[in-house]
Amino acid sequence: MSKKKIEKISTSGLENPFSGMTNNSMLSGEEQYDQTTVKILPDVWILKIGGQSIMDRGRKAVYPIIEELLQAKKQGIKFILGVGGGTRARHAYAMGLDIGLPTGALAKIGASIPIQNGRMLQMLMAHEGAIMAYHDDFEKLPLYLNTGCLPIMSGMPPFEFWEKSPMVGRMPQNRTDAGVYLLSEFFGAKGMIYIKDEDGLYTADPKKDPTATLLENANAKDLLASGQDDFIVERVVLEYMQRAHHTHEIKIVNGMKKGQLLSALQGKDVGTVIRAK
Amino acid sequence: MSTSDTKGRIHVKSDLMRESLVSSAFNASTEKGKIRRMAPDVHFIAVGGQSIMDRGSEALFPLVDEIVRLKEKYKIVLGVGGGARVRHTYAIGRDLGLPVGGLARIMGGVEEQNRDMLQFLLAPHGGITFVKDHFQDLPMFLNGGLIPVCIGQPPYHIWEPPPEKGFLPENGSDVGLFLMAELMGAASMTYIKDVDGIFTDDPYKNSDAEFIPELTVEDMKARNLPDSPFEAELLNCLETSRLVREVRLINGLEPGQLAKALAGEDVGSRLKGSRSRELGEENNE
Repeated sequence: MSKKKIEKISTSGLENPFSGMTNNSMLSGEEQYDQTTVKILPDVWILKIGGQSIMDRGRKAVYPIIEELLQAKKQGIKFILGVGGGTRARHAYAMGLDIGLPTGALAKIGASIPIQNGRMLQMLMAHEGAIMAYHDDFEKLPLYLNTGCLPIMSGMPPFEFWEKSPMVGRMPQNRTDAGVYLLSEFFGAKGMIYIKDEDGLYTADPKKDPTATLLENANAKDLLASGQDDFIVERVVLEYMQRAHHTHEIKIVNGMKKGQLLSALQGKDVGTVIRAK
Repeated sequence: MSTSDTKGRIHVKSDLMRESLVSSAFNASTEKGKIRRMAPDVHFIAVGGQSIMDRGSEALFPLVDEIVRLKEKYKIVLGVGGGARVRHTYAIGRDLGLPVGGLARIMGGVEEQNRDMLQFLLAPHGGITFVKDHFQDLPMFLNGGLIPVCIGQPPYHIWEPPPEKGFLPENGSDVGLFLMAELMGAASMTYIKDVDGIFTDDPYKNSDAEFIPELTVEDMKARNLPDSPFEAELLNCLETSRLVREVRLINGLEPGQLAKALAGEDVGSRLKGSRSRELGEENNE
């Protein structure tokens, strides 16, 4: 390097433990800080209604769940409702793969369907205070919750064009299960419940494999190591759980079984739990 | 066309109908297949925060002049990093106990300041701010002879995943601009910092540090360099990318390096992905 280094402009007053460090070495400036992080909304549940599993069944599946959600709300239980995509998202992904879209563009088009589903639920529950909360609205969530509203969010994280190519294949790995999980982790939420159409996690997809058996109290670390082909939640959720600070377990309830969701929100032992380790 | 299955779900017919998108076998089946490039003639250039922006006019004016000259020949998108104020933001945020998503949510504000400063300098020559919601307007900006300037950080905000190590966001400005270049299938991705390239040690502190003109991600990880100029997560992104398979690091304090880099000449260090992945469809130019 031939030239003399040009001095940085003054940073006096900005000195801090990370000053002057490269992005990598900043990790070593960590020890002096408290090794815990605050919980942002610790008394709020994060719930997710499945797209293919619930929304695509229409009235028969959705109405009873709405009834339970509104009952829970009347009992003073606070929650944010995330929504999945489902079969239309799959149709769009299939088209996108066919025309050669990169992963980030697939994530972008996949984001539209959960918003449709969220808006459907908002219309159905508007009379009880349902309100759409978009990605940029999240700082208003305390307002919505404290005024008795029922915030509904797309489950998709806002990664969209910035979704990374996966190790294998072209599909976006962070979809609606991951988005709501990351919300729960950030909020330090009371709990993360996925409302699906199965009792929990099976050894294979029970809709395709009649020999699949239900795994009660599964653990994410073992699941990832097991080589099992299919899970009831996105794989990255199990990975994020390994390094999470707050959401160390997730619960799956069967939305097709009356009362399960409400019981779970009341703290009863229903559905199945996946723990981090 | 839609169809109802025996389980009572109404499906739109598609190859992925009833498919679990989680299945490993299914994901493997999507590995083959070409990806088309959106912007194969566009060069993405990252301007370092701490390494360039924080040096002020002395570093920026010559670099801006060079970019303006090169714009006549190349389509360029600029991204900026944060620098000293990001580090201060992290220090205060960590002290307050904010979770990683909280830090990711606030740090972009500093990059926006740097973006606006760089845009100010480039404005007489067509510099414009380039924000997420106008991503799909890029062809119009470039065909209009403009120089879009954006922040590097990806918009993960509170959804920033928990990091492998520590408490800070893994996805910073190096990663974000790379992901944009990869999405676009860009012609090149160049990082402008304050070193001539990748060295075995910090060349400012150790005069015996050796210059490494070219290396793979695997080499780089094995070397475990004490002062890597890149975010660790950028290396992972290079391993999984399909269209942009290498990045280059050059010295923005040395006039002429950027011109050489865009011309494809030997300058700076090249870091390449070490996994072989099927490349995207070459553009029919």
